[in-house]
Amino acid sequence: MKLNQLSLYNYRGYNKQDIAFGKGVNLFIGDNGSGKTNLLEAIYFLSLAKSYKTEDSNLIKFNQDFSRILTTVDLIDKSYDIKIILSKNKKKIILDGREIQKLSDYIGQVNVVSFLPEDMNLIKGPPKNRRYFIDSIIGQMDRNYLIELSNYKSFLKQRNDLIKKLSEDKNPDMTLLDIYTEQLAKAGEKIISYRNNFINKINLELKSIYPYLANNPYLFEFKYLPSIDSSLEGTLKENYRKDLFVRTTTSGPHRDDYGFLMDDIDAKDIASQGEQRIMILSSLLAVTEIIFHYKKQRPILLLDDVFSELDTTRQNKLIHFLNKSHLQTIITTTTTTNINQEILDDAKIFNVKNHFIRGNKHE
Amino acid sequence: MNFPKSIEDLIVQFMKYPGVGRKTAERFVFHTINKMDKESVKELSETLTQLKERINYCKVCNNLTDKEVCHICSNEKRDQSIILIVESPKDVFSIEDTSQYKGLYHVLNGVLSPADGIGPEELNLKTLWDRVAEKKVKEIIIATSSTQEGETTALYIKRVLQDTDLTVSRIGYGVPVGLNLEYADQLTLSKAIENRKKF
Ligand SMILES: Nc1ncnc2c1ncn2[C@@H]1O[C@H](COP(=O)(O)OP(=O)(O)OP(=O)(O)O)[C@@H](O)[C@H]1O
Ligand SMILES: [Mg+2]
Ligand SMILES: [Zn+2]
Repeated sequence: MKLNQLSLYNYRGYNKQDIAFGKGVNLFIGDNGSGKTNLLEAIYFLSLAKSYKTEDSNLIKFNQDFSRILTTVDLIDKSYDIKIILSKNKKKIILDGREIQKLSDYIGQVNVVSFLPEDMNLIKGPPKNRRYFIDSIIGQMDRNYLIELSNYKSFLKQRNDLIKKLSEDKNPDMTLLDIYTEQLAKAGEKIISYRNNFINKINLELKSIYPYLANNPYLFEFKYLPSIDSSLEGTLKENYRKDLFVRTTTSGPHRDDYGFLMDDIDAKDIASQGEQRIMILSSLLAVTEIIFHYKKQRPILLLDDVFSELDTTRQNKLIHFLNKSHLQTIITTTTTTNINQEILDDAKIFNVKNHFIRGNKHE
Repeated sequence: MNFPKSIEDLIVQFMKYPGVGRKTAERFVFHTINKMDKESVKELSETLTQLKERINYCKVCNNLTDKEVCHICSNEKRDQSIILIVESPKDVFSIEDTSQYKGLYHVLNGVLSPADGIGPEELNLKTLWDRVAEKKVKEIIIATSSTQEGETTALYIKRVLQDTDLTVSRIGYGVPVGLNLEYADQLTLSKAIENRKKF
């Protein structure tokens, strides 16, 4: 999947901007506040029909009534046009001339995998970040996972509310708790098997991606750390007393975690900033491969401010790797002084200044 | 627009009905003014008052009735050995429409959903347990909808009755997942009852 071209109108700081992307690496170079992240955000919006950081109304250029994103997406065998119009309380999405009625019918048309500066919290942050990261990737590949997940969540909510009520009862009726527990366990088993499956796949991909980018002898692997690693139903039932005391479901897939292991040691305890960045980038690249296996289309890779904290060697290795891949990548950076000219020559370069983008002529 | 107060008051009343917005409410009011004479307006208001005075829940099955016991429960020709459990009185009417089912009903008045504050006590379950304790009942058909809450409710009833001699079956299979009985067409419904599965 490739973005052929993109037009922004009154999007964030942009007035009228047309961009013709290259099929490989696209480098957007510009100073702080010049509009680089805003550009990536617009592409992200094409994928999920929302921003990752704010509500729609903030995306419209100050003092304007509406903004518009227009693009043509090329697939191997076809292409389609997308037009998104954002006004104060409304968004309209038009796919190949037809207006989308249900957002869920649209989401998934454009696949992106993105690296944002805040993703650096993935390794050192709370488990919730890692669960969200993995859940959204599996969900992007397989909608059924999202259905199972929402199924699980509604059983969990029912069970938690029931537990609160039962904990106040002198003589609690446990029959309904049994039933919710069994249903939760059944839904949970499915989620665990999706997650296991995904971790096996990503570890397989990492074997060929990480060593090159990392330029070190460590083995990087994900480890799935399920909150319950024996029978779900059995354990949930053993936990009744504890759950009733704490008044919530204390364990289960909603409390799962993942470790980023460097030679079997959790990266958060030993890895440097740059090493963590390489781990996260390798994971995202592995994800693009897995998505390709599932969907037969490669997602578009968005890398925001990706070079900071990386040394010259690793910056060059990253761009070189991306030049050689089949991915369309959109990278933002404040400078490319560390990148070798022959590597830059394989990429398409854009300069961003005050929300105005100009392609570099000598390509 | 500023309507006279009496018109505005009635508009507000009609808008309390589900599916009635301001425009429709206005049409109802003008219909009342232009097309109805004093007699029929009086008849309407009396019918409304009587409805609230007379309608109540059947002492046995909780169906809507204007007697103490509804016409189904009091009909001795109905098969007294089968009870079909539904969520609401509307479901009783849908199934009666198929003229297929000859047993009795039990109306739960909702489905289990602790998240909405509805536990077993909030449903008409105590009366159900009393009814099935009587020896003449042999079979229970659970016809709660195929939503998550409907399934849970069915499982709960089945679990409570598991040590009895009752045959417990479930319909909902013929009814597409997530669909309420209310919307199921008659053919789907009769098929569903015919093909009920023991569970
Ligand atoms: N709705 C809007 N209308 C106009 N300008 C906006 C709007 N929203 C944000 N901006 C401007 O966009 C700028 C931020 O742009 P962006 O985040 O893309 O910068 P950047 O190029 O990624 O910078 P950095 O290198 O610091 O990450 C801010 O100066 C902000 O004032
Ligand atoms: Mg930025
Ligand atoms: Zn009755």
